[in-house]
Amino acid sequence: MDKLNIGRHISGQFNEDLERIINHVMHMGGLVEKQLTDALTSVCDADEALAKKVLSNDYLINNAEVTIDDECTRIIAKRQPAAGDLRLVMAIVKTITDLERIGDEAGKIANVTLESLSGKHKDLLSNLDNLGRHVLTFLQATLDAFTRMDVEAAIQVHKSDDKIDREYEALIRQLMTYMMEDPRSIPQVMSVIWSARALERIGDRCQNICEYIIYFVKGKSVRHTTPEDFDSLS
Amino acid sequence: MISVTPKNLSAHNVKLDLNNLSPEQVALEIKHLDLYYGNKQALQNISMSIPKGQVTAFIGPSGCGKSTLLRCINRMNDLVDICKITGEINLNGENIYDRHTDVAALRRKVGMVFQRPNPFPKSIYENVVYGLRITGVNNRRVLDEAVETALRSAALWNEVKDRLHESALGLSGGQQQRLVIARAIAIEPEVLLLDEPTSALDPISTLTIEELINDLKKQFTVVIVTHNMQQAARVSDQTAFMYMGDLIEYSDTNTLFTTPAKKKTEDYITGRYG
Repeated sequence: MDKLNIGRHISGQFNEDLERIINHVMHMGGLVEKQLTDALTSVCDADEALAKKVLSNDYLINNAEVTIDDECTRIIAKRQPAAGDLRLVMAIVKTITDLERIGDEAGKIANVTLESLSGKHKDLLSNLDNLGRHVLTFLQATLDAFTRMDVEAAIQVHKSDDKIDREYEALIRQLMTYMMEDPRSIPQVMSVIWSARALERIGDRCQNICEYIIYFVKGKSVRHTTPEDFDSLS
Repeated sequence: MISVTPKNLSAHNVKLDLNNLSPEQVALEIKHLDLYYGNKQALQNISMSIPKGQVTAFIGPSGCGKSTLLRCINRMNDLVDICKITGEINLNGENIYDRHTDVAALRRKVGMVFQRPNPFPKSIYENVVYGLRITGVNNRRVLDEAVETALRSAALWNEVKDRLHESALGLSGGQQQRLVIARAIAIEPEVLLLDEPTSALDPISTLTIEELINDLKKQFTVVIVTHNMQQAARVSDQTAFMYMGDLIEYSDTNTLFTTPAKKKTEDYITGRYG
């Protein structure tokens, strides 16, 4: 948190406001990580109770988003932040939107658990489990980079999204083959595809958060740029 | 249907390259300006180009030299005995510190408005035409026209048109400040210097003056000193941050308030210890 340099304002109240918001974002990140972990575990263990818990806990993430949003609005209205402070508030407002969406994607994954897949389709889920574990690691690395506002880590995480995309494409190809071989399995395979899609989207959301980290620290917007543009940031 | 492309979106915000302005774009060019009050150096090697038809703000903590620099632009510091200045300030390519410069003529080209409204104890009308009368204009029709134009430009005409011959001292603070601006622009200067023009005004009068500044830049080059950073962010196109007599950073306002290049600037505009 030291790197955020928030503790040096002349106004102690402003320091406290920013610290509180950052703590809330980290707490929200923790909730999202827990939701994704639980969603993946529920799929892997066919644990319907855990899946239901994931769905019923989504409101916690939604509440956190609304609370942090309100706090950011208040800071803009009362403190008129500039430069790094302004970029931090903007980065937080955008980050929590992506975190909330990651929470929604975790819910979609939990829904698969509740769709009773027959025994012969269970092996489809093992592939989902592999992708899921990689996405979870990806999310953890993103939250870690956010906590430390570490540009180097954010760039590395951003680049590694390609791996998730490749893994997702491979899984989709495999599932399509499955559907072609046994058209009766299409409804079940489709629900696995939706989950895979949700995981792939989580990867994209994490990429967005990495871009906000870079924006906050470097003051440069790297959205919609090529990977080569990232090299000039290091 | 208007197509909204990224180019259209950014068209209203044309950023000038302040280090490479063409001569036609430059209103004032300050070169290696040093200023001493006795033995104390108050400005150190200030060099900057102030573009025409734009609002340039000077910000910085008290005693950083921003008002001193502003006063240099119409040689108000000549009135301070212990003040010594080296370097150049060029207006239309001519150094205003050249010994042949007619200071009265310079001040007709470079008008100034101060922190506290200072109307003369005369009628509203006489306040506005004061500068014109000094320059020998006495034609009633010319003066009437000048009064209406200046008061309209200063967004005061509608409020005072029915009482032009009443005392200016009966106006509110915000109205007095706009009257003083009208007085300054009646003689059609090229540059208008504003030294904390709203620090003595209430928030609503402040907003009126800020709106006025935005209109004035269509006709004049405006240079403003302000303690209110948000005001600089709102009204100016360029901002110069000064600290202890040095020009620390000078760039377009959007850049300076979102991604300042220097740590000192960041610390100041975000309210941190320097």
